[in-house]
Order: sequence, then C-alpha cells, then structure tokens
Amino acid sequence: MRRRLAVIVALAVALVTPHAMATPDEARDWLQRMTESLASRNYDGLFTHTAGSQSETMRIVHRVEDGRGVERLVSLDGSGREIVRTAGEVHFYMPDRGVVIVEPRTDDGSLLKALPAPGPRLDSLYTLSIRKGNKLLGREVRVVDIQPRDAFRYGYRLWLDEETAMPLRSVVVDSAGQVVERIHFTRLETDGTIDRHDLEPAVDASGFQWIRSGKRSEPRATVAVTGWRPLKMPPGFRLVASRLQVMPGVPMPVQHLIFSDGFASVSVFIEPSPPTGPAPPESTSMGSANAYSTRIRGHVVTAVGEVPAATVRDIATSVAPVEAAAPAAEAPTADAER
Amino acid sequence: MKAMANFPPSDGSTEPHESREEHARPAAGVEQSDLELVKRAQRNERGAFDLLVLRYQHKVIKLVARLLRDPTEAEDVAQEAFVKAYRALGSFRGDSAFYTWLYRIAVNTARNTMASRQRRPLEYEADLSESEQSSVDARMKDTDTPEAAALSEEIHQTVNRAVEELPEDLRTAIILREIEGLSYEEIAAAMECPVGTVRSRIFRAREAIDRSLKPLLD
Amino acid sequence: MTNQIREQMSALLDGELPPDEVGLLVRRLERDASLRKAFGNYVLAGESLRAPGAIMASPGFAARVSAAIDDGAVPVTVSQSSHRREPLRWRRPVAATAVAASAALAAVLLVRPGTEQQPRLAVNGNGGAMVTLASLPVGGSSPTPAQNQRIASYLVAHGQYASPIGRRNLWSSALAAETGITRVAYEIVEGP
Repeated sequence: MRRRLAVIVALAVALVTPHAMATPDEARDWLQRMTESLASRNYDGLFTHTAGSQSETMRIVHRVEDGRGVERLVSLDGSGREIVRTAGEVHFYMPDRGVVIVEPRTDDGSLLKALPAPGPRLDSLYTLSIRKGNKLLGREVRVVDIQPRDAFRYGYRLWLDEETAMPLRSVVVDSAGQVVERIHFTRLETDGTIDRHDLEPAVDASGFQWIRSGKRSEPRATVAVTGWRPLKMPPGFRLVASRLQVMPGVPMPVQHLIFSDGFASVSVFIEPSPPTGPAPPESTSMGSANAYSTRIRGHVVTAVGEVPAATVRDIATSVAPVEAAAPAAEAPTADAER
Repeated sequence: MKAMANFPPSDGSTEPHESREEHARPAAGVEQSDLELVKRAQRNERGAFDLLVLRYQHKVIKLVARLLRDPTEAEDVAQEAFVKAYRALGSFRGDSAFYTWLYRIAVNTARNTMASRQRRPLEYEADLSESEQSSVDARMKDTDTPEAAALSEEIHQTVNRAVEELPEDLRTAIILREIEGLSYEEIAAAMECPVGTVRSRIFRAREAIDRSLKPLLD
Repeated sequence: MTNQIREQMSALLDGELPPDEVGLLVRRLERDASLRKAFGNYVLAGESLRAPGAIMASPGFAARVSAAIDDGAVPVTVSQSSHRREPLRWRRPVAATAVAASAALAAVLLVRPGTEQQPRLAVNGNGGAMVTLASLPVGGSSPTPAQNQRIASYLVAHGQYASPIGRRNLWSSALAAETGITRVAYEIVEGP
C-alpha cells in the first residue's frame, strides 16, 4: 500500500504540460543559477518538510550581509528546534533536550567558492533533464530531474521558479522510485529586506547546556589520526576538503574528510574510540540523510551524507589507515575541482 | 549499472492543465483561509477565532510544552497565548502567516512564564556524562496519570485503525492530503478524478474517523 | 443539510473553501457545539497521523480558551504553584523501538552494491513484505543522548559542506523530532 501510494504521489507531482526535453546543459545551467540564487539572495519562506510519514512545518530565513549568507532554519511545530548560521558559528538549538550544539563556521566567507559546482563531470553520474512545469505559488516553474545512473546516490526533482531559479519544491527519490524526502514551500518571499529579529532564535537557551566544538586547542600531535582514507568510494566521489574537528568530550581531534560527486556529498569522521561507548555497528536514517558508524582498529568511523544507507555503510567499513608515503595524502582545498 | 527505472515519469498524459485552470475554484490554501478567518475575528465574529484555536491548539501546546520543559503547565500557558493573540488581533496586519504570528506570541508567553520562575541553571559545558544524566532524569518525570496516557494512546490507535479500515479511495485521499500535504487539485490529478470527488472523499474519510473517535471523547 | 455544512468544514480545514462560503459556516459553528467538536476531531485526525506519540490538547481545551476570552479574564502569568484544571493528557516521546515496530519503515540491508545483484532495501512496513534472514534488526535500540549529540554535531559539520539543497534537506531532517529517525543495530549477512 505504501509503495502504491508512493507511485501515486510521484504521479501527482508529475503534473506537466507536454514539452520538448531540453539538453542536459540547460539543466545544468539552471542548477547553477539555483545554487547562486540560494547563496546570494535574501529570502524568507515557509515550507512543509516530509520524511517517512512525518510532516513538519518549517521556516527558513536567509540574508546576505558583508558578502556572507546568514540564515535561520526553524521547526514551527513538532520539535521547535532551530539551526542558526551566523557570520562565525552555527548553532543547533534543541529545546527538547535542553542542548545547544555550537560549531565554528567552516566556509571561508566567499559566497560561491565553496559550493559544489555542477560541472560537466556530473553527466557521467547523473542524467539531467529539464522541462516546463505547472505553476506553483502562482509562479512559472521549470522542473529539473536529476536521475543517478547508479544506486549509490539519490535522485532529485526540483521545481525552480523561472524568474529567480529558487527551488519552490524538491523531492528526493530512491532507486525504487520511492519518495524519501520532500520540501514544499507554501510561501516564499525573495529579495526583500530581512529583519534582524527574524534571524534570532525564538528559543531562550540561557539555561541550556552549550556544547561547543573547536574550543579547546589541540593537546598534542595528531599524526596517529591523519592518513586514514576510505578504500572504497562510489564512482565520481572526490575528496574536496579535510579538516580536524575538535569535539567536546573527545580528547583527540576528529579527522573530518569531505567527499563530493558534484551534487551529493559524504563526510567521514574518524575519532579514537572512547573506552566506553557505542560498540556495534549502527545505522541512522534521517530523511535522505544516512549515517553509519563502525569500529575500526580502535577508532570509531562514521560516514554521513545525502546518499542511501548502503553507500555510507560501504564507505565507512572500507576506511583504513593509509601509508604515510601515499601520494594523495593531503586534501586539496575548496579550490580543487569537484 | 542500471539507472533508476521507475523515477517518476514525466509523460504529459495527465489532463491538460489549461482547461482545469479555467474552471478551477480559487484554491485558497490554508494561509489564505486563516487570513479570512482572522479578518472575521477582527470584526468580532467569535466563531472564526474558535476555528483558529481548534486548528492550532495541538501545535501550540506541543511548542509550549517543549519550551517550558515542564509540560504540566503547557495547557495553561497555551491558553494564555491564545487569549493574548485574541486581544492582539487588531495589530495583526497579515504581512506574515497567521501561524507565524501566533507562534511568536506563544514563544514570548512561554518565555515570560519561565522568567517568572526560579530556575536552577545547568552547568555550561559540563562533562557530558553527568549533565546528560540529570537532563534525562528531568525528562523522564512522569506527570500523566495512567488513565490519561491510556486515552492518548487510544486516540492514536483509533485514528490509525479507522484509516486502515477505510475503503482504498478514501484512505488514499486522506493520506495524500494530511501526510503528503497535496492540494485538492494535485490529489485530483493523482487519483484521476474531479476535485469535487477529492473533497467528498476526504470529507467521508474524516467522518469515519470522527465516528470512531466519538465514543472515546464524548 | 448537515452533511453539506460538515463537508464545507472539511474543505475549510484544507484551505479549499471559497471565501464567500466561509461566513455562513462560521455562523453555523458559533451556534452548534457538535459542529465544533467535529471540526476538532478532523484536526485531531490529521495531527495524529502526522505525529503519532506527540503531545496533544486535551478534549476540553478549545472550549476553555473560548470561556477565558468570554470572561474577559486578564491573562495572568502562571506562577509556580501549578494549579491544573484537568490532568494533561500526553505521552512521552515514543522511543525509536516502538516507532520502528509500528508505522515507520525499518530499512535493513541485504546485499552490498557493486555485486551482481542490485542493492535492495528490505522493507518491514505495514504492507509487511520481506522478512530478513539472519540479519534481523537487533531491536532498534533507543539511541542514548550522547549518541544523538554526536550525530547532531556531525550533521551540523557535514551540512556546512553539502550543496544548498542537500543542506536544507539534511538540516530539516535534523530539526524534525526523533520519531523521524530510524535506528537499527544489526549484523551484516550476505543475502541470497
């Protein structure tokens, strides 16, 4: 019943007028425009987020100041959680746990530099297509399909506003054609003035426990941790960044590797095992994001990304220390080709 | 590697949208519907505000319960928030969605409630193991009676059972509406039937659920 | 003609009632408590489907709000001596185990991708089909707060590097309540 429902829903969102298919280049251009819009415009919108059978209403507010995007994502019902990204930090407020997680902001501030660029390499991994769609929110839209050529990654359908290329609706689909996650805007204002107040959290977190990453300075050399790599990666994933993450309660810094295929990305975290802690391999699913943790040689290795569960599992279990002499040791910076 | 064979098809075989738009009723959407109710409430039509309370009561209570961290007073504080909203209706101008505005009032009301209480501050950046334990304890405090918890559970089970027992077209319609959040037009396209039929199916599904809930709640 | 009014109420709930029909409906609702009750049940049905196990308003709540407005009561900040009118009907957030056992889908892997067969997800759902072999989920253990916080930290850190669409999906899922997370601890067995 669920499967049939998924197909019906898939058909429901396939409302189209017959139209000639445009070239993949055109689809890629639109994706590029979309990426730029999301990074460079002010916007304030309400959307419904659905994953599994759970639906929640959320609000996103985004403002560009001093060449950098600041934003706030808040759940308007359900958990009441929020993520606020300021100029220097990202705060994840969890009022249901009385906790705030604080991470330093890791992009260098240049709006577009750090964005995965949908380049020509994307064609070998995904089939892109674009067509005209029915109006959404009273606006003309183009519908972009991003179909993966293998089952290591997810597919997407994006409804882009013709004027601004802003996504008004997006759907993530797995290899069985099931909708894994959906975002559907019910209201979106673009390019207006954003009130500073709307970027402040509604949660009063003064009594909360604040968990800060990156606060403590590194206690000693971390040579033992660097040099780990996954030996198995799905086709097309390249290492795009590498960093050390100082996590509270973990004595050694955690190595963080970021891989991307130009569209989807996967992080691998490698940390020394705590003496007590999670032992068995475990898998977590949150909408289209999946995580897999396992123990390898006294370390806890976690892979997390917007890819199917099997993919993160394969990546995580293949992580191993690499000889210091290995050529591809140090990670390229964000300048590298993705 | 096999590509995804059953990615949602994009054939244009669904009905041409031009003619549908000609005869389509102005699809209001929940936001517009709220605005209409607010306008009427501002003109002293109390029934309109009652409808808004009925629509958002659960959301506001959930929100307030989380902010307060002691949910026993969630209903009292939520009630206060709704009353405040009623009194402040005159100042609502419709430049945000009604629920966004109500949400802010609820948050402020909850905040003021917490501020008026003595709070034991948690230690910042304490060792995870000890503070996590105390916060787990706080959350595990059992404040509901066994009867109340049982009723709540029964409601959820009753609704699920009622939905499972619906004829398939009614069940599909209500699920597409409530869980997938599709509009009547979208559901009509998916189920290949007129909008009026969608409206009727959703209504009949709700009536069936209402009949199941009656013995529980009356 | 009660059915017609009730159907209009249902349409209003979905925001699909033409504005000119709202007035009559509002007036009928003012006079008829059974209509209000039905509307409340329609709302309850949706909330229950979308968030099973969450806190809900008790049955008399809306009526109490209405009474408080009528009373012209001045909103008083609730003091610490909590006086409750009725026991609050709520449940603790449902543990991941219960959710996995009920309506949520528990994904269990059978085969690694890259082998002859396509990777398949065996789905244990209401429609029930596939049962796994030796690789039964070990109860879907409820994640500890420490585990959740680690995952939350990773989500935030990873999200900063994802594409804008990826980040939005990822962080939205992170905001959604725990019942949206499926957790499985299991042994991998090479499937058939």
